[in-house]
Formats: sequence, structure tokens, C-alpha cells
Amino acid sequence: MEQIFLVAEETFSAVVCFILVWFLIKPYLVTREGRYLGLPLGFGILGATYALAAFAHSYPIFMDPDFSVNDLTWLQLIARPFAFAFLTFTYYFSKKPSKNTHLIWNVILSALLVAVTSLIILVFVAPNSAFGNYRFLSMYIRGFNIACLLYISIHTLRSHLKTQDSKTITTPLGYILLGISQYSLLVWLVDGSTKFPFYGGLVLRWAGLILFLIIAYRTFYGIPKKEL
Amino acid sequence: MKKIARRDKMKIYGDLLSILKAETSLTEKIVLVRIQTKLNVPFDRLKRYLSDLEELGLIEDQISFALTEKGKQYLAEYRTVLDFMERMGIAYR
Repeated sequence: MEQIFLVAEETFSAVVCFILVWFLIKPYLVTREGRYLGLPLGFGILGATYALAAFAHSYPIFMDPDFSVNDLTWLQLIARPFAFAFLTFTYYFSKKPSKNTHLIWNVILSALLVAVTSLIILVFVAPNSAFGNYRFLSMYIRGFNIACLLYISIHTLRSHLKTQDSKTITTPLGYILLGISQYSLLVWLVDGSTKFPFYGGLVLRWAGLILFLIIAYRTFYGIPKKEL
Repeated sequence: MKKIARRDKMKIYGDLLSILKAETSLTEKIVLVRIQTKLNVPFDRLKRYLSDLEELGLIEDQISFALTEKGKQYLAEYRTVLDFMERMGIAYR
């Protein structure tokens, strides 16, 4: 039963992320600025890691109970921080004039893509033991994810304070929820005595992703603003 | 001229289309100097941008400066995307 819930939860998260990618590619398509590619890339990788996790959870239930899903679990673990890194760099560079920073952004984008590809290859080539303990690595990665989400939350919160517009408060709220979700999962990894932080973290992740979906839906399909 | 952040061409086209739409709805005779002041670019560059918009089929001609259907669609999409970026906490400059 728990496995089925996890499959459903990961699948739902993946679907929401892929829908978000469709909306988040639009700023790049209209402006043609590479620095906005980080948003669809970030949510795309995030969606892919949730899809991998769903597959890893579902394989033993629906297909082969003896199948080892270690590789897939490792893969989603090491790919997820790259998603948050893409998002963080996008927010960081969004406040800089593109003329001065587009070269640095291109270098960072290429480096991240090379790093994530190399790690994916490494997961399949090297034995799992090469990475050491899954639980410990998972803790460090969650710490990194929290740091990224903290930066993005502060950045978006400052943007909201600058605009003083009620419609911009949802984004920092979404990122804060994702951050608390990561923190909850970290608490569960450290403590592990109860599953409450684990399920709480999953619910918070849903809430955060749904908030982003609401923002996108309201912007593109909401009632059009009266023209000035 | 007042100091503003550097804009790329897409932003300038978007701003120019917004100004032209507002101006054409207010008056029949468009005064280019007023457009230039609002857009905050040198006159020769404004003329170049207007030629670009005409070539792209976003404005009908350089007399009426009326937006074509394509121009109106582009402007609507541009504004929606800008609104989305603002909601997502991303500055477009």
C-alpha cells in the first residue's frame, strides 16, 4: 500500500513538473535569452527525477519483485541538486544585465550540463559502492537543495517586497514550501524514528508545485487584465 | 536623457509596440518625437526599429503606425510572458 502511494505521489509530482516546463519555456521563446533556460531545465530535471523515483518504486510491485532499483535511486538522488542549481543560477543571473553576464551564464550552463551527464554515466558505469553510503550522501544533497531553495526564496521575496503586488507573493511561498519539504525529508533521514516528516515533506512538495501551477494557469488562462 | 538599464532588442520592440498601441488609440497623428521620448532612444535608432517592425509585419506602415493582427498578437503574448516572469520573481532587463 505504501509503495502504491509513493508511486502515485512521485508520478503526480513528475506530471506537474512537466506541465510547468511547458509554461516556463515561454520566457525563453519570447526573449530568446539563454539565462531564462534555467527555469524549464530545472523543473524538467526535477520532473525527470520524480519520474525515475516513481519507476523505481513501481518496478518491484508491477514487474519483477527481485529487480534491483539501486541505479535508478542513485540517479534520481544525484540529478535532483542539478535541478535546484539551474533554478538558483537563473534567479541569480536574472537581476544582472544580460549584456555583461551572458558569457558567464553560458559557461555555467555548459558546466552543469556536462556535470549532470557525467554523473549519470558514472552511475551506470561505476558500482554503487563508489558513492559510499546512500543515506549520508542523501543528507548532504538535501542540505545543498535547502541552501538553493533558501536563496531563491529570499530572492523572490525581495522581488515581491519591491513590487508590493499581491500576485507576486505566491512564488516565494511555493519555494518556501519546497524548502520546508526538503528540510522535512532531511529530518526524517537524520531521525528516522517516525515517518511523519517523510509524508509531511511529500505533502509540502505537492503544495509547492501546485502553487506554481496555479500561478502559470492564472497568468496564461486567467481573466485578461483591462488595458490601460 | 534619463539613465535606464540596457535593454535588448526584444524588450525594445515590445516597449515600442506598447507605446504605438497606446498612441494610435489616443490620436490619429503620431508624433515621432513623442514616441522617441517615451521609448528613450536616439531618433535614428527609433527609425531603424520602426523599419524592423514593418519588415516583421508587426505594424502596417510608417505613416499610420497601426499594429497589424500579428503585432497585436505578439504584444499580447509579450505582456503575458512579462507578467508571468514578474509573478515568478524574475526580472527582465
